[in-house]
Amino acid sequence: MFNALYLELFVVLLGVLMLLAESFIGRHTNRVYIALGGAVGLLVVLFLTSVSGVPPEAASWPAWNFYSPDPQAKIFKQIALAITILVLLMASDFIPVLTKFLPAEHPNAGIGEFFALPVFICAGLMWMASAVHFLMIFVAIELVTITFYILVAYQRRNLLSLEAGVKYLILGALSTGILVYGITWIYGVTGSFHLETIALRLPDVAEGDGKALLFGFGLVLIGILFKVGAAPFHIWIPDVYQGAAAPVTALLSVGSKAAGVIVLLRVLECGFASPMLRAELATALQWFAALTLLVGNLAALPQSNAKRLLAYSSIAHAGFVLMAVASVFGSELTGPAIAFYLGAYLLMTALAFHVLTLVTASTGSDEISAFNGLSSRSPFLAFAMTVALLSLAGVPLTVGFFGKLLVFIPAIQAGMLPLVIIGALGVAAGLYYYLKILRAMFWLLPEEGSHIKIGKVSIAVLSVLATLILGLGVLPLPLMGLVGYY
Amino acid sequence: MLTLGHYLLASGALFSIGLAGVLLRRNVLVVFMGLELMLNAANLSLVAFARFNPLNGLPDFDAQSFVFFVITVAAAEVAVGLAIIVALFRARRSVRVDDIHNLKF
Repeated sequence: MFNALYLELFVVLLGVLMLLAESFIGRHTNRVYIALGGAVGLLVVLFLTSVSGVPPEAASWPAWNFYSPDPQAKIFKQIALAITILVLLMASDFIPVLTKFLPAEHPNAGIGEFFALPVFICAGLMWMASAVHFLMIFVAIELVTITFYILVAYQRRNLLSLEAGVKYLILGALSTGILVYGITWIYGVTGSFHLETIALRLPDVAEGDGKALLFGFGLVLIGILFKVGAAPFHIWIPDVYQGAAAPVTALLSVGSKAAGVIVLLRVLECGFASPMLRAELATALQWFAALTLLVGNLAALPQSNAKRLLAYSSIAHAGFVLMAVASVFGSELTGPAIAFYLGAYLLMTALAFHVLTLVTASTGSDEISAFNGLSSRSPFLAFAMTVALLSLAGVPLTVGFFGKLLVFIPAIQAGMLPLVIIGALGVAAGLYYYLKILRAMFWLLPEEGSHIKIGKVSIAVLSVLATLILGLGVLPLPLMGLVGYY
Repeated sequence: MLTLGHYLLASGALFSIGLAGVLLRRNVLVVFMGLELMLNAANLSLVAFARFNPLNGLPDFDAQSFVFFVITVAAAEVAVGLAIIVALFRARRSVRVDDIHNLKF
């Protein structure tokens, strides 16, 4: 059995190796090999994750106080690794856009770092998935967030990218401050940072400390919901998603969201141990879920920029996940349903953003009008994007449909009817705004008729993703088995 | 005699001043100082809680070591943050929040 503690260390080591490769290979060597090497390395870690656990000789290590190798953490680690691999492949298609906006002495400068930083983010996401101690949660979240500041503002000659970087910096640091202040209050009341110990002590907390406890958990909840992208803490998402490079946006929307959700689940599981907090937290979550569903789906309707539209769509998807999270103690099926939803979301987001990357690299624009007439410029890309959008909208025969179905089931079981109705309306609104891109691809004429060239690796990645989305849409059992339904 | 309440009051005031700075000031650098103030408010309350809830007569070292992690992370945040602000200043010749408005609906 592979010691689970070494997984993240391997990922960090891989990132360092990629940086070393960047500095030691010649100026004119193609940097794509660094990305491919990183992807292969992460693939190895992905395999190691499935055989990882606590070996008997390491069972007494104090590190397990901070780190839990449970099956749920394993699934979320696999999600983090999978999206990072896909993002590395996506990033190698993004090089033409990247070099345009980097001040550089030679054409290959600054590209290797663009491939290495997502690997460090991946390590942070994996630590978040396993964190069971507030110290670990805080440091892992910050590792992810600070690295994202760099990646979002990476295109230094691009004003939009810099602006997105500054906005993310200010609002990200604000949420960190709120999170830490909340943690101190939870510590002040319970005297511990360890989630299990806190959960044990919560029922005995004196009546008079209830307000302080609620204050602490409320602030921590806000800090985490910010990372997940739930309304009303979603204000950074549209700007940052639009300004950042497409591969970075993909990593931000899947990785950051998935890891945020598992931290949220762990903190809630701890907070629900207190009879004083239980009702308040559950109600607050339902409100946040309803608001997120409404904001995400309604604000997506008038968008004309494809990345911004996908940003609002990601808020809407966060709403569906939160709907399931809100039912967490009304139903047994919540955990697997959330993991399935995020797994499906990973596939379709990676596919949509990969197509967007290729379109942006060829046309230089990420407006919806860049998709005009894509069906004649590249039928393959148009097909892949169609699959991704239909799945994001939740149309039957795609994996997105089962994802939506599975998060609605626990919500209905928990008896949250108003939330279910809002969710159903959100699905209907989703059909409309995803169709806008479909319409551009198939009905509108292209502004320029150039054919889009796609590399072999990208064709393979896009085909695998599209096949998985359609295949799991017909037969979802393999993914359901993976996330723990049976 | 100073009690835990005094320290928490001071830390709450620091947190509020920081938050107000983030929400009200228009200069990105001052906003960033507000953010650092919020982290230091958390540090102050952590140390105060550790001092006033002793374990075996000693302050709780869990909370005190947490403070070092917060300081380190804040330093990393400043290093990256100032670099981004400098890059923005080079591109725009301004660090005012009002001038940052290319991305919107």
